[in-house]
Amino acid sequence: MNTKLALLLLLGYTFAPISQAQIKHIEMRVEGMT
Amino acid sequence: MKQHLGRQSGVQNVEVSLIDGKVEVIPKEDGQIDPAQLLKATYDSGVTAAEMNMTAAGKIVKDSSGNLALQVEPNRSFVMVPNEESKQLEALVGSSTTVTIHGQLYRKPAGKREKAVVSSLKLTILGVEKKE
Repeated sequence: MNTKLALLLLLGYTFAPISQAQIKHIEMRVEGMT
Repeated sequence: MKQHLGRQSGVQNVEVSLIDGKVEVIPKEDGQIDPAQLLKATYDSGVTAAEMNMTAAGKIVKDSSGNLALQVEPNRSFVMVPNEESKQLEALVGSSTTVTIHGQLYRKPAGKREKAVVSSLKLTILGVEKKE
């Protein structure tokens, strides 16, 4: 029973969508740059 | 400025366009990048930041004051400026949905030259790119 549960959890992690929360891109507009 | 920003933690690459004054920062995937720190580093390098936009994925949460926020790391979230877009995200508070948002974190007040108040960056949503 425990083995089946562990296997299910493992499969769940394996196929979970990769949607990491994170900052993906930053863009700035600056003034006074030479 | 490129070297100065490139030395900040969490920064993988910095692209600077001298023609239109655009600075593009590509973060590392370690989640260590701090927009407030980048803004400070920009000023420290001797230029004025006119605006800062960000694309980030995270969960919609409410902070201790009840403000809607985008949580991008367990210890980092950005309070959202209330607008039509943010209202539509309110239903996702507490859900496991990850939302990718394009928004503005900073815009220099018109006619002012003083240093940005970097401690209170608020995210104005410009668009919701993805919900998953």
